[in-house]
Amino acid sequence: MSFDIALIVESIPEMLGGIGLTFQLLFLSGALGLVLAVVLLLMRISGRWYLAVPTMVYIYVFRGTPILVQIFIIYYGLPQLEFVRESVFWPILREPFGCAIVALTLNTGAYVSEILRGGVLGVDRGLKEAGAALGLSIRQRFVYITAPIAIRLALPAYSNDVISLMKSTALASTITLLDMMGIARTIVAETYAPYEVFLSLMVIYLILTWIIQRTFGLIERRLSRHIRSEV
Amino acid sequence: MEAISGWWDDFFWGSVVILQIFVVALIMTVLFGLIGAAAKLSNNRVAKSIAGAYTVVFRGTPEILVLLLIYFGSAVTLTQIAQAFDPEIKFMDLPPFWAGSLAIALIVGSYATETFRGAFLGVEPGQVEAARALGLSNFQTFVYVRIPAMWRLALPPFGNHMLSLIKDTALISIIGTQETLFVAEQAIGTTGKPFTMYILVGLIYLGFSTVITLAVMVLEKYANRHLEVGR
Repeated sequence: MSFDIALIVESIPEMLGGIGLTFQLLFLSGALGLVLAVVLLLMRISGRWYLAVPTMVYIYVFRGTPILVQIFIIYYGLPQLEFVRESVFWPILREPFGCAIVALTLNTGAYVSEILRGGVLGVDRGLKEAGAALGLSIRQRFVYITAPIAIRLALPAYSNDVISLMKSTALASTITLLDMMGIARTIVAETYAPYEVFLSLMVIYLILTWIIQRTFGLIERRLSRHIRSEV
Repeated sequence: MEAISGWWDDFFWGSVVILQIFVVALIMTVLFGLIGAAAKLSNNRVAKSIAGAYTVVFRGTPEILVLLLIYFGSAVTLTQIAQAFDPEIKFMDLPPFWAGSLAIALIVGSYATETFRGAFLGVEPGQVEAARALGLSNFQTFVYVRIPAMWRLALPPFGNHMLSLIKDTALISIIGTQETLFVAEQAIGTTGKPFTMYILVGLIYLGFSTVITLAVMVLEKYANRHLEVGR
């Protein structure tokens, strides 16, 4: 069992060539997923059954099936349907990158919406009642009282979901995309040196995870600065 | 629908494989989780840091990367060992079923480690002291007092771990087990109906997720039966 140091030195920059794609997948589907999550949340808590029930079904379906299957349905499955091929979305759904973004967005949106709902449900009722007593409208209470507190409550769980999303971007390699994971798989197929290549890639992903955790840790500290005890 | 008709039995046996992987991986997950939690709560610095590294690494890297590392890594190592005895052997691997079950159990086990650790810490110290006072040994205290008190606390998050586990089984098709995604690929090869086949796979997984969710609800009710208010 020998460890090929030269191969590691060679393959790390090669894999880092895919980090741009990993970031694109992460940021684009992360941002779109957040928008989707907020829309789903508002529908879910709207109190109107014709909005809430479809949202619940959506969340149930997307959280109850593997993301790999969702990616395959969108990338391999949708082209079977003629109306998809004739729709305006076809330029997006024809490309593996577009399919990966759509799949990751739909998936993370379902999870994040549940996280946000947890935050909203965690807001103290007394605060909302106080807002009502002060004469704020329902919309004002949501924007000025519920939302800021809910965001703070949901943040730790949300940072975990961003890490999950980052890990899920590696699945884009299953639909021919050459993100870091895709490049690593190509190198292993050529050199047959899984330890060197995959362990190096693990370190890269661990660093990304650490950066995400640090960033959210700093945001959390900033958002809860008023409740931090004086040192 | 008629496209599926010839494939029902293949999908059925694919689902059986999913179930087998799930059961095997679940047992390993509980083991890894308990060992990890015990190590994290022990006073042994080496055990603590190994368990700490385990949870950081397996929670911070993509599932597909862990899976490929374990499958191809073990294949390289096994082939080398086999060749030391018999140079004729060209290739030897862990069967994908076992390599895959091990990989997803290691991943979900790292999450279970944190869950179990928290749950053990949540057991009231008074109960453990009472067990000591009654003369129970450490082992007896663990089996009769700590475990029954902790699993009630661990159950809700552990239900989520089981859902992750069933969904992660889909990844194992990448290294080639005969589960439903693999069956779908074969069915698509002859019928040319990817959407139909992958939707069916999604429905199978949705069924599994639903059963697990319901089972966890029943278990939670059972675990909390002593807290129910009598009528």
